[in-house]
Formats: sequence, structure tokens, C-alpha cells
Amino acid sequence: MFIGGYRAVYKFKCDVTVWNRTKSKCDPLISLGATYKASPEEVAAYCDVTIAMLADPNSAVDIACGKNGAANGMGPGKGYVDVSTVDDGTSKLICERIKATGASFLEVLLFFFASPSLAPVSGSKKPAEDGQLIFLTAGDQSLYERVAPLLEIMGKSKFYLGDIGKGATMKLVVNMVMGSMMATFSEGLMLSEKVGLDPSVLVEVISQGAISAPMYRLKGPSMIQSQYPTAFPLKHQQKDLRLALGLAESVSQPIPIAAAANELYKVAKSQGLSDEDFSAVIEALKSKTKE
Amino acid sequence: MLSDPAAAISVAFDKDGILEEMCNGKGYIDMSTVDAETSIKISEGVTSKGGRFLEAPVSGSKKPAEDGQLIILAAGEKGLYDEAIPIFDVLGKKSFFLGQVGNGAKMKLVVNMIMGSMMNGFSEGLELTEKSGLDPRTLLDVLDLGAMANPMFKMKGPSMLKSNYPPAFPLKHQQKDMRLALALGDENAVSMPVAAAANEAFKKARSMGLGDQDFSAVHETVKGPKHP
Repeated sequence: MFIGGYRAVYKFKCDVTVWNRTKSKCDPLISLGATYKASPEEVAAYCDVTIAMLADPNSAVDIACGKNGAANGMGPGKGYVDVSTVDDGTSKLICERIKATGASFLEVLLFFFASPSLAPVSGSKKPAEDGQLIFLTAGDQSLYERVAPLLEIMGKSKFYLGDIGKGATMKLVVNMVMGSMMATFSEGLMLSEKVGLDPSVLVEVISQGAISAPMYRLKGPSMIQSQYPTAFPLKHQQKDLRLALGLAESVSQPIPIAAAANELYKVAKSQGLSDEDFSAVIEALKSKTKE
Repeated sequence: MLSDPAAAISVAFDKDGILEEMCNGKGYIDMSTVDAETSIKISEGVTSKGGRFLEAPVSGSKKPAEDGQLIILAAGEKGLYDEAIPIFDVLGKKSFFLGQVGNGAKMKLVVNMIMGSMMNGFSEGLELTEKSGLDPRTLLDVLDLGAMANPMFKMKGPSMLKSNYPPAFPLKHQQKDMRLALALGDENAVSMPVAAAANEAFKKARSMGLGDQDFSAVHETVKGPKHP
């Protein structure tokens, strides 16, 4: 992601400044001409726009709001773009801290195109280098417009969704639809096998018709082999379904299919499949004989 | 090509039905969407008179039919299937021979079950984006870019957002197929909670008088009452 991002800014002939907890990871960029600063605070103080990409909420908060954090270097006219893997609450916390300095804030959530894993950036780097990312952004609109040309080079598509939190909401709904689709696909594979059909023929028939989705073509064969190499962990899929149920409740909307799907993921978790790919939900449908 | 088991049985077995003229050397290709049991029953009726039988239900609705883009799921007598291939090539874009009678019916039901559940999941997503203050058309765009993209979402999404459900595949037939798929699961003790939930939604839609609309009209069941 770093390299892809750098190529983006390089094309625009911007000055790039970098920082990473592990300095050696910056070396490829430094060799391309980037400046190294010793802390997030110094990067933020030096740059017009700071882009942060951390793997988890704690790191995101620490880098933004901690000692020597970026917020200390922010001020009016500057922008902070957070591409970290965080939940709604953490994003709002960082946003408040940044805005308190007078700077503007934009949250960015990522999807990988044509990858069954709609997972945070920690994971495959290749889609980022090939510009296959989809950016869901929310927050300060003028900051979005400022970084839009960079996003266009780094990714496939970008969307501005409105106020802070809307990016996370959209991602949640997309993942809810994905979770439901995987659950019904699993039911179909199980049913076809139990009634004497070849599930791989089912996958082929589906691929010819109106419900043909890349996800089915990509995951079907391994699911039939009871293999679930982790692209998007099942525990994250179930967490997103749980959050979607909470969201739906807050707006009084019934979502029975998502609710039924959520139960299957819970069963799969109880079977110890949390760290497998979310396609392992099919195991929840299999009967386990009691000894 | 009849739309339900009762009609298919009637055309075969009733007075002036097909079986009265069935005999050696004749073939009967039933492209109706029925359950496996009905198909087997008709097959036995035909073969007991010396005829040959092939079930060949199709996947695809009005437009694919008009464009000759149906998927044909055949099962039964292989010889009759081989003879029918030239016809199938005109009607459809791909045909499958799935083995013994009943397998075509079963395959069709499994596909339609997934389709019905997907439509419900999709509908829930559209409504939730709107209720959360997002633009549902953005959801359509995002879905269309990723691993979940499929022709059905692309085709139906925009009209669903306008509460338009021009019938390509009537909801009452989709619900019938969900019911038959659940019965198949029932016979084989297969757990299908998502399909069961989807079936309930289609039933509710029927009770709301939406049976003759396109099956995407199930979207009306996730919408709350309209506020003045």
C-alpha cells in the first residue's frame, strides 16, 4: 500500500514524507526520494496532508492522539486522512482530536476489487499496487476533493459518503449482504449434495445465470473440498453482521435473512472456526454426529 | 412448459392429455418447473406407454427466454437429450445433462432457492442504507464493483429503488419454488434457516397482494409503514 501510495503522489510530483514504527520499512520509499521524519508529530507538522494507515484501533489512536502523535503537529489548513482499520467509535474519537486542532479529517475504508475478502488493508498488498482498491470516504468534503486525484491513481473507484461514520456504515451494509450471500450459497451447496447432485455442477450452473457472482466462482471449489483458506476471517464477518443487526434495530428495520445468517456464523464460531475464512460457515450446516 | 406441478400433471394425465397419445417411439420433454416427485410420476406415465422422457426445466426469465439465453437443466433419457440438443441450442445458451429423472428439477429448485434468498439479502441491504441516511444507489455501485457483483442485482436494483417491479419472474412462482426447495431439504434433513426466512418474506409479500409482481417486490416487506 505504501509503495502504491507513493507512486500516486510521485506522479503528481508532491513532496512525500514518511514515518513507520519499523524504520527499515520506509527504506524503499526513502530510496525513491521520500523524506523521513522521526515521529507522526513531525510528519504532520511538516506536511499539508497526513495519511495514516494502521492495522488496528489502538495503533490508530496512538499514532493520532498519543505522545508525539500526529495531532500535535496538526493545525488550520492541514488535513488528516485516516485509512486505518477502526470501528466507528475510534474513528470519531480521532476525528474529534484532529478537528480540535483546526485541521480537517477524512476517514477512508477500503474494499479490494474482485477479492472475496472485503477486508481491511492488512492482508494482500497486490490489489493496492495494481490500483484495484475501492475507497469509501466520509468526513471533510474539501479534504476529499484535495486527495481525490491521489485516490484515483491508487485505486479503482472512490466514493464520498457524507459525515464521519458513513463510510463505516456503508462497509457494514456491504458486508451484511456478503454474509447473507455466503450463507445462502452454503445452504445451496449442502442441499445439492444431500439430494444426490454434484455441487461443482451447481457452481457451474450458477456461473451461467443471473446470480453469477465472482465470490461463488472463487470460493465454491474450496468449500466443496471443506477448505477455507483465510481471506476474510469468519469472526470479522460475524462481528459485522452483529453490528448490522444493531444498526437495523436502531432504525427499526427488520432484517430476517441477515439475522438467520448471523446465527449460522455464531454456530461456526462455536465449532472453533473463527479464524478460518468466512466461507467456513458451511460447516455450521453439516450435521455433527454425537459420540 | 408449465408453471407448477398441478398443471404439469394435468397436461400429462387428464382426459385429452399427452398420455392418451403416448406410445412407442414418441418422446416427451417436460420443461416445467416442478418438484422431483412430480417429474418422476410423469416420467413413469410416459415410459409405461413405451414413450421416452426427458425433464428439462430452465433457469432464466422473460428476457433470457426472448434472447435465447436460457440455461437448460435436463435429466432422464440420454438418447432423447442428445436428439434435443439442436432445439436446446436455440432456446438457450447452455444445457446440462444431470442424470436420472428428478435431478433437473432438484437443480432448478436449488438455484431458485439461492436466488430467492439473495434477493431478500439484497433488499435488506438497500433498505438499511436508505434508513441509515446513505444513498442506496451508492450501495448498488459498490456491490457492482466487487466480488458480489451479479446480473440480478444490477438489473433489479434500480427499479427496486423506485418501487417498480415489472414481472419477469412472478413472486408467486418464486415463493412456490422456495417452498418446494424447503420440502426437498425437509425430506433430506438439511438445515436451511436462511431459505426458511426468505420463504416467510415471500409469503408475507403474497399476503400483501404482490404475487403477480416480479419477485423483487419482496422488497416491500422490509420497508416500514410509510410515514405521512
